[in-house]
Amino acid sequence: MKDRNPITDKIVSLKRQLIGRKGELPAYMTQNISQDLIRLENLVKIYDTGVIKVLGLKKINLTIKRGEFVAIMGQSGSGKSTLMNILGCLDRPTMGHYYLDGIDTAELTSNQLSEVRNRKIGFVFQSFNLIPRTSALKNVELPMTYAHKLSKWERQERALALLERVGLGARYEHMPNEMSGGQRQRVAIARALANEPPLILADEPTGNLDTASSIEIMELFSRLHQDGATVVVVTHEEDIAAFTNRIIRFRDGEIISDVRKGEETNAD
Amino acid sequence: MLIENMMMAFSAIRANKMRSILTMLGIVIGIGSVISIVSIGDTMRNLFADLYKDIGVTQGYCQVKSWVVDDWRQSDMFTLDEMERVKEVFGDEIAYIDSSASAAGDAVFGRTKVKFSFSGIDYNFQNVQPVNLVYGRYLNQGDILGRRQNAVMDVKSAEKLFGTENAVGKTFRTTIYGDVQDYTVVGVYRKDISPFQALMMGDSQDSGEAYIPYTILTWPNDYFSELHIYASEDVDLNDFYTRFTDYIAKLKDRTPDQIYIYTAVEEMGSIDSMMGGLSLAVGGIAAISLIVGGIGIMNIMLVSVTERTREIGIRKALGARTRDVMIQFLTESAILSAMGGILGILIGTGLVGLGGLALGVPVVVKPAVVLLAVGFSAMVGIFFGLYPASKAAKSDPIDALRYE
Repeated sequence: MKDRNPITDKIVSLKRQLIGRKGELPAYMTQNISQDLIRLENLVKIYDTGVIKVLGLKKINLTIKRGEFVAIMGQSGSGKSTLMNILGCLDRPTMGHYYLDGIDTAELTSNQLSEVRNRKIGFVFQSFNLIPRTSALKNVELPMTYAHKLSKWERQERALALLERVGLGARYEHMPNEMSGGQRQRVAIARALANEPPLILADEPTGNLDTASSIEIMELFSRLHQDGATVVVVTHEEDIAAFTNRIIRFRDGEIISDVRKGEETNAD
Repeated sequence: MLIENMMMAFSAIRANKMRSILTMLGIVIGIGSVISIVSIGDTMRNLFADLYKDIGVTQGYCQVKSWVVDDWRQSDMFTLDEMERVKEVFGDEIAYIDSSASAAGDAVFGRTKVKFSFSGIDYNFQNVQPVNLVYGRYLNQGDILGRRQNAVMDVKSAEKLFGTENAVGKTFRTTIYGDVQDYTVVGVYRKDISPFQALMMGDSQDSGEAYIPYTILTWPNDYFSELHIYASEDVDLNDFYTRFTDYIAKLKDRTPDQIYIYTAVEEMGSIDSMMGGLSLAVGGIAAISLIVGGIGIMNIMLVSVTERTREIGIRKALGARTRDVMIQFLTESAILSAMGGILGILIGTGLVGLGGLALGVPVVVKPAVVLLAVGFSAMVGIFFGLYPASKAAKSDPIDALRYE
């Protein structure tokens, strides 16, 4: 342990807050130049229910590089949701390390995790999770609002551009309940892109959609991938996983297979 | 971000209109009653101040405490000579002085008989109690020195006794101190008094009032027990009346504590502090209803937080920090409460204003009280919003997202 001066610590944390408010990256989010966007090292997750301890994940080692399009598959109870929560920085590993864009998330406070989610991850959920009674535009603006980076006008402009990118430019004023499932999911994807996060994390993104909409959404993810985004999709449907370039299968908290479509993966 | 939060709060409040209105009602009633009670108190204080200004705040009455001293003597009474001496000693500091004499009796004119009260005054009484003379003249120095049986009365009294306002030259008969006397009306004046003043001074319907020379009432021996004085506007009343008491004590060979001095300013002060205390006490009781309103807000915010668990989860997943969620819900409860406060002020001042209009009384609503009320209601909102907001802010995003 290094000897630390509490006053210097305080100043540094204040500085971080101030810098954070201006929209610049906090000091712990140092720029990462490694090709590994996600690196799991001996990751263990144990759920302590008070009565019994459940082993959620057993010593997972996994690396996902920038620009990959990955599907994580498995039956319910296989640990894929647990992994999803940890990858999404919603939860912390019990043991081991999870490096996201070079940040060791195990050491972060819950507010710092919020910042990491805000800057580094774009979430797409099965049940869309748009804020009710809030327009598509406002929903897309939300991550930018929490990032305190752009002015109100810049946020609106960017949100509008993102909605256009997912083909909903004309529906920016619509409330979530005025849109179809596919449209809602596209708003959610636009929202996930708001802060240009290095990682798009989708949890059963087509679980509540019909086949046509599902294909539409997966094609949108493919396009994002082609544009350079790293996309991780959690699913239990084979035909959804088929859109991706790498399929990681889970069972009982362990990886049982990790298959790449070799020729299509661009390691560069 | 603040504006963003306020927009969110308004949309959440609008989403549950009925519930929000009912929740606000507690604060509306609380603030409304505090505002109206404090305003009624302030209005009353103002009315009393006006009343005293009308009857003269500088006036005082002075006599030897005959009920305290055990060796009461003839020299404890005042004489006209002594009154002149007092006038000389205090000079300009005394604006007016008389013998504080009054009498009551039936005034008879033809077949009309009206109860009258007579106040003995000096000719310059209108300097300290200005009246609007509409007919004839005021009592003059000649009336006083010659003890002429002339009278001045107000139009209402004249109307009652003579059936006409212009009673100048008319004569009535009355009995003062057992002596039957005829008085001639030399002047009639009009004095506008507010309904409140009439109420406080007991403006009775069937009696009249008239001013007559004070020298008549001190007749025949020119002894009288009490001095009635008006100090000048520019003197320090406390200092003046202290010196005045000391002087009278010396004059009467008494100690100052044996001299009774009654001043309007002192009475006004005690009434004012009594009214102030009263309105504060009742206002305090009304403020309790604000706490009840605040608990109502806390209750509904807790419900709202539970209902919106999922929304909170989404926000946290998208990067909202504890502080962001906290501020969002605090803003909402503060706005809810402040809106109730503003509505309460409108209703409170509206009611007081209507009451004032109905009674013909100018209403006093202090801006400071209004500002305090809005501020206080927002504080209530923040205070009672703290617990629900922290509950929302601390929720775990995973649980919150899973919440159905």
